[in-house]
Amino acid sequence: MLFKTTEAHEELRAKVRAFAEEEIKPIAFKLDQSNEFPHEAVAKMAKLGLMGIPYPKKYGGAELDVLSYAIAVEELARVDGGAGVILSAHTSLGTYPIAAYGTEEQKQKYLVPLAKGEKLGAFGLTEPNAGSDASGTETTAVLQGDHYILNGGKVFITNAPIADTYVVFAVTTPNIGTHGISAFIVEKDYEGFEFGDHYDKMGIRSSSTAELIFNDVKVPKENLLGHEGEGFKIAMSTLDGGRIGIAAQALGIAQGAFEHAKEYALERVQFGMPIAYQQANQFKFADMAIKLRNARFQVYSAAELKQAHEPYGMEAAMAKAYASDIALEVCNDALQLYGGNGFLKGMEVERAYRDAKITTIYEGTNEIQRIVIAANILGKPPKMNVAGGKQKGPITGARKKEIYSKGSAQERVDQLVEALKADGYDFTVGIDPMTPIVDADRVVSAGKGIGDKKNMKLIEDLAKQAGAAIGSSRPVAETLKYLPLDRYVGMSGQKFSGNLYIACGISGAGQHLKGIREATTIVAINKNKNAPIFKNADYGIVGDVMEILPLLTKALDNGEEKKPAPPRVKMRKATILKEPSHWTTYVCDGCGYEYDPAVGDEEGGISPGTTFESLPEEWICPVCGEEKTAFIEVEKVSNKEDQ
Amino acid sequence: MHCVRKVTDDLYWVGANDKRLHLFESIHPIEDGVSYNSYLLMDEKTVLFDTADWSVGRQFCENVEYVLNGKPLDIMVINHLEPDHAASINEIILRYPDVKVVSTEKAWLLMNQFNFGVEEENFIMVKEGDTMKFGKHEVTFVAAPMVHWPEAMVTFDLTNGVLFSADAFGSFKSLDGALFADEVDFKDEWIDEARRYYTNIVGKYGPQVMALLKKASAIDIKMLCPLHGPVWRKDIPWLLDKYIHWATYTPEEKGVMIVYASMYGNTMNAAQILAAKLHEKGFHNVHMYDVAETHVSYLIGQAFKLSHIAILSVTYNLNVFPPMQNFIDDMKRLNMQKRVVGVVENGSWAPQAGTLICEELDEMKQMTVLNEQVSLLSAVNKMTADELDGLADSIIESMKQDY
Repeated sequence: MLFKTTEAHEELRAKVRAFAEEEIKPIAFKLDQSNEFPHEAVAKMAKLGLMGIPYPKKYGGAELDVLSYAIAVEELARVDGGAGVILSAHTSLGTYPIAAYGTEEQKQKYLVPLAKGEKLGAFGLTEPNAGSDASGTETTAVLQGDHYILNGGKVFITNAPIADTYVVFAVTTPNIGTHGISAFIVEKDYEGFEFGDHYDKMGIRSSSTAELIFNDVKVPKENLLGHEGEGFKIAMSTLDGGRIGIAAQALGIAQGAFEHAKEYALERVQFGMPIAYQQANQFKFADMAIKLRNARFQVYSAAELKQAHEPYGMEAAMAKAYASDIALEVCNDALQLYGGNGFLKGMEVERAYRDAKITTIYEGTNEIQRIVIAANILGKPPKMNVAGGKQKGPITGARKKEIYSKGSAQERVDQLVEALKADGYDFTVGIDPMTPIVDADRVVSAGKGIGDKKNMKLIEDLAKQAGAAIGSSRPVAETLKYLPLDRYVGMSGQKFSGNLYIACGISGAGQHLKGIREATTIVAINKNKNAPIFKNADYGIVGDVMEILPLLTKALDNGEEKKPAPPRVKMRKATILKEPSHWTTYVCDGCGYEYDPAVGDEEGGISPGTTFESLPEEWICPVCGEEKTAFIEVEKVSNKEDQ
Repeated sequence: MHCVRKVTDDLYWVGANDKRLHLFESIHPIEDGVSYNSYLLMDEKTVLFDTADWSVGRQFCENVEYVLNGKPLDIMVINHLEPDHAASINEIILRYPDVKVVSTEKAWLLMNQFNFGVEEENFIMVKEGDTMKFGKHEVTFVAAPMVHWPEAMVTFDLTNGVLFSADAFGSFKSLDGALFADEVDFKDEWIDEARRYYTNIVGKYGPQVMALLKKASAIDIKMLCPLHGPVWRKDIPWLLDKYIHWATYTPEEKGVMIVYASMYGNTMNAAQILAAKLHEKGFHNVHMYDVAETHVSYLIGQAFKLSHIAILSVTYNLNVFPPMQNFIDDMKRLNMQKRVVGVVENGSWAPQAGTLICEELDEMKQMTVLNEQVSLLSAVNKMTADELDGLADSIIESMKQDY
């Protein structure tokens, strides 16, 4: 056998390279500097037939092989890492699951425009608490009649918010881990589907990356991909293929950097000769070339295996891990060869150096790739006692979570004010709004949801009427610079331990919440009802700060100057009665032993998190040996209406 | 001399009272004694339902002999094999060698383990739903696993609605001539001992008791014949309601039990201050116990009754004071849940008890510890007195909520 690409492959390579050199290279620096998505170039890629390379012609694709697709990504990335991932995320992640698991109707409706490049695709799996471990997925989809109602959010989504079609993963059966996850096709313009900010990334800045937010998004039942519970399987098989795309991207970035370094080193003369011929640099070039050749073989071989329908998951993981690891090394050497010039903005190697880093991280970190590889070699590890049965509570501790989401804005505000007054808050007194956060009894805090700087007036007005000091989340002080840095609240900023904290337009990042753990009462005002702040609040209003804050300010205004507040007295935190465990336990009729899924049965080889129903039939009571059938369910009894 | 009472026309109580035993099961003090109830049905066949403890064996045998009045004993139904009811099986077999013993498969294993002398050819194994006719009366057997032993069953007389309920619906206290609950002041003089009996003996098995109560709700019970305490023929729903509270770990009433562990009176002082503040604030259902002076079975009974517990404990060898530790462990063992708990610790150089108590409570189901924890250094001072005041407020405030 001859390890060589075909003529057709090289023709395609030449075509894509020409396109990349002509259409992307001239604008690459501008895209990088301005964090800009190359809309026109992507439209031209569609015309060239690059957006559906491995998909059948009858669905609008080019019906070429997987290797052709890898070459296309490689060639785009050679010029611009961002352009490479636009194609990779579109083809491997956004389109593949529909091509592989979609019904004929779904393929006609979604695959055809995606493969033709009329629409751009994206893939939404990652969440704040579900990165490498998808079992932490918190986005939910509840079937109501003909629709699934989606709630939750996704982070770091490549091609968002530009993409038109999103394959999104959500929990349809809670508490059973990855088997409860399902996949859905979600269109960009569904009501309640919104996007967070376009991230300000270190590299691949021409590729757009954003947060997805789902608030009661109605997804038609027919947009379920595969069956309920198959989501994890779909995600994993998609990522297997996606790895080839990322490996090709890493390869392309490294190849580009290598070529630039070669050109530069042959021209740059020191000590009387081009530096390329200094032995230290000769060796560098030799090593770079070895690495590139190794990586290319890995990537192309994985692509061929996939095309031939051979098992390729391990090989794709090897290609991704290896190509991205050496991409960092090659780019580092390339930049080193450039010396101080390579450290300047506008130099391709400088951009490649930054672009390369993400390839060891996304679509499965290289640590996860190695777990995949090891699992293929060694098999699954024996079951270990992993924590995971116990549920983690909210970061700010048990809170009342009385959230006002119904009725008019005025009604919601009135309910809040009534509750605060009933708790003993006196709004006839006030403090200097610039009282240090640590000394303040009350703080009104602004998050990014406040929008324009001029809206800070709303925060100032509310702080005055609430008798509070002014604070903010970290981005409002650090990025937006609306307030001095010593006024942001959080683990790394000021800690608030007074009585009343009113969070306005703050979504509730972990580090922020850790700074308000000691607050007696937390109030959240946010338009996103799924924002984490609500799970950490005593009271909340779901609504737009622009509408709610003026009403709340007015409701707290007694028409008089605030009297100076008395010395701060810490108020009592509300008592929150402990809720029952979400697990259903069973007791043995032979001895009274209680099976608790949070604990499992270590001796019986049952790991924590295993429900009673999913215990094997041959499982017996670890204490007395009775069979599973001798267990009865412990019913949860609530007596709220009793007294 | 025999001492029996008629339950119905053809059913007799042939049990006996024990007023000399100090510790029931060698653990629970019984100042007012206990009765071991056994019932003898004089149908075409003669049927004895359970026997009695060996300590009252002579009285029991005399009673059986008297009621049989020369007839042979045909059948002995054993609902529960615990020796306080089953220890006289052997003696009955010696006296009436032809008697057939009726019980469950598990009871058969246990009676062999205990060497109660039952021959295999004289044993009739029954299971849930089986019936047996004795002449006029026909009974059905209902499994009652883990109420509070695995072999337990109850027997229901389909003819007259009598339920032989084994240890369910029993009570401490000797009957002293009374037979029916309506012959004594049960709600005043008996309920605390009935609760102490249930919670300490059966308390852990709430889910199984609920399963049994569910089965019982499907039949028309006219009379409850338990193995301890009086027979119920009136007000059965009242007793069932108590059982539902206990079996679901639901408090009977809003109230605070203050339990303290004090070595030199300083923690007791905190308990007194807390109690005084509760009364001062208008809350009067407050009951105080010195954990070292009170047998834990009384504490358990009270904990099942009331909605709130205030635990005040000194630190002892860097741990919780041992009798207090025992109380908490006992609650845990008995599946105690759904209580609101105030925690006050004391320590002179390294107070630890509070943290440890909270950890223990966290392992139990739905035990809510009030945020207002108080940590005393040797004795209450101005600051901690204020904190006790806050704790009292918090206790009263949290009364508004139910689980």
